[in-house]
Amino acid sequence: MKALQIAWKDTLTRYRDWKALIGLLGAPLIISALIGLAFGNIGGLGGSDSPITDIEVIVVNLDDGVLGENYIEVLTSDDLDDLLNVRQMDDLEAARMEIEAGDARAVLYIPAGFSDRLIPSGVDDEAVSASVELYTDPAANISPFIMQSIVEQITAGANTILLAGRVSAEQAVGQAEILGPALANLGETINSELQPENFDFQTEKLSLERTEVGEAVEGINPFAFFIPGMAVFFLMFSMFDGSRSILLEESRGTLPRLMTTPTSTSQIILGKMGGTFLTGLLQFTVLVIASTIIFGISWGSSIPGLITVVVLTVFAASGLGALLTTFAKDASQAGAIGSAVSLTFGALGGSFFPSENFSGALNTISRFTVNRWAMDGLTTLTLGGGGFSDILDEAAVLGLIGLVTFALALFAFQRRFVK
Amino acid sequence: MVNPILAAHDLHKSYDDVEAVRGISFDIQHGEIFSLLGPNGAGKTTTISMLSCLLAPSKGEAEVDGHSVTNDADDVKQSIGVVPQEIALYPTLSARENLAFWGKMYGLRGERSKERIENVLDVAGLSDRADAKVETFSGGMKRRINIAVGLLHEPTVLFMDEPTVGIDPQSRRRILDTVMELNKQGLTVLYTTHYMEEAEELSDRIGIIDHGKLIAVGTQNELTKTVGQFDSMRIGLDQDGLDGEKLVAALETIKGVHRAMLENGEILIQAEEANAVLSRIVTTIDNAGGHIRGLKIEEPNLEAVFLHLTGRALRD
Repeated sequence: MKALQIAWKDTLTRYRDWKALIGLLGAPLIISALIGLAFGNIGGLGGSDSPITDIEVIVVNLDDGVLGENYIEVLTSDDLDDLLNVRQMDDLEAARMEIEAGDARAVLYIPAGFSDRLIPSGVDDEAVSASVELYTDPAANISPFIMQSIVEQITAGANTILLAGRVSAEQAVGQAEILGPALANLGETINSELQPENFDFQTEKLSLERTEVGEAVEGINPFAFFIPGMAVFFLMFSMFDGSRSILLEESRGTLPRLMTTPTSTSQIILGKMGGTFLTGLLQFTVLVIASTIIFGISWGSSIPGLITVVVLTVFAASGLGALLTTFAKDASQAGAIGSAVSLTFGALGGSFFPSENFSGALNTISRFTVNRWAMDGLTTLTLGGGGFSDILDEAAVLGLIGLVTFALALFAFQRRFVK
Repeated sequence: MVNPILAAHDLHKSYDDVEAVRGISFDIQHGEIFSLLGPNGAGKTTTISMLSCLLAPSKGEAEVDGHSVTNDADDVKQSIGVVPQEIALYPTLSARENLAFWGKMYGLRGERSKERIENVLDVAGLSDRADAKVETFSGGMKRRINIAVGLLHEPTVLFMDEPTVGIDPQSRRRILDTVMELNKQGLTVLYTTHYMEEAEELSDRIGIIDHGKLIAVGTQNELTKTVGQFDSMRIGLDQDGLDGEKLVAALETIKGVHRAMLENGEILIQAEEANAVLSRIVTTIDNAGGHIRGLKIEEPNLEAVFLHLTGRALRD
């Protein structure tokens, strides 16, 4: 009970300090807005200043028809040059292994006979359904979403042309007796029109795609990446700062005074750590609400998922902040440690740049940061449209980090303060 | 004799190789104001920290209100109120919010909490500023709220660690009056200070502490009797070009001068009979090139006691 009262007092004092409020709430929103506006719409896909670039994509095209070629032409077009690095391979299994090895983010598989199945050679032939397959890196959050959107757009464009061609052909055949034999081969004529050089869905649809992807994927709004990134980044700062307050209280005499009251040391420390946790929780909650209202970003459709990721991110960050503070000699040293770790974790953990862009070693290192797991969880919900079941891995890791660091910090602080 | 409300037995506290407190023993009776008087670094705060269960003694034991500081810390903490040397308050909270928070730490709830808060605000004379943030208070007002926190749960003994450090004379006067008023109402007070005048004015008994040891305990009269055979003289000097150490050595050669020392531009002298040696003292100072600005012969006081016992001035 006393721990809760100490926690509430800490939260109250923090939110009454307008300088602290700027750091807690103002800075994440303002910086996100500035960066988001500077980068423009990530839905623009591949703009030179987009933070998401060079997504490694492998195309396994076993189709020898026009449609397979069309997929490749679109994917390797100038418009997507910055966004995608496209390679071609013949072996699907080998391509999938590249994803597992972290060398590729997505594999597009176009099966043999894909074009033949969809484009009948004669009017009497029945078109049958066929599909391409997209394999993505389960560890990636944004690139699969982008690739899926692009492939869907290409497929939708192709479908439109094919449908238009088929309807026209069938209508023409239906009118053959009236129109005469000159149109008997209309089907072939129309199908011959479905050659890349004869219609421009690549460019036309791609130009259309910018809009359509933007609409279909409103999550690829720059704020949808930067606000969670900045929220996690500034959360780390405030969690270190909150933990530092225990050393500030020690130097200002309020901690020793607390220890002269009939309140156990463990209650005092739990209260202090709880206060940091509460502060962070309130900070993140306000940022979620404010960013939704101000920037119109969507935090996904899974409320339980969002609550879980937010609570466990704050738990892990406050636990880590408390633990690292135990190594500091005094509050100013704790401040220096906190700033250094927050900045490093921000850079490594994907708060500034999507971890999608990280290479193998950097990708591995980033997994040792709270930011990475938090960002993975949040982007799965916000950009990936994932649900509660999709963030369980991230939740488990964040929860584990929180538990271990909280327990160690509690132990270390008790040893420090019981003299 | 009635059981003392506080008894310290051979308290020691060491930090690595440093012995901050070296075997302190004393007791305090119900309703007494007991002062620990000593210079900075003498061990006063360490002693009070052990008695308030903030520090565990390296050796020795103490009981407060019948509870052991080493074994019954929670009971001891409930019996004592602590006023630390620092302003141990939360500046962004109001006086009332601070008091409410600290009250909760002492287990005060509901109506009783409200009642106590109003009471101590009244004692501190800050009822009209109760809802102002502490950061807007003057140093003296902060000190008064600092004291009010220690009184919230109606402790049996109040520990006050140098509560008047760094405040203006008016605020100091108010605090001393408050302490005496609380004592009149039955509160036992353990008061630490390095101001001789405060100890003299407030205390029923005084313990003189130096280098972690209690070197004398008693009433002011009892203590001054230890230097009763000596008169004290305080001579103000212009010291330009004066070799102070040489002058002190010369003064101590005068027959009838027990001890001489230089302190803050003044020479303190203990002599068997001031009038008998005064002319020779003046001559010696004159010969040394000193120029006397003022001279005062004092009744024996705690300063003289400290000088007598340690060979140093209390302010050293």
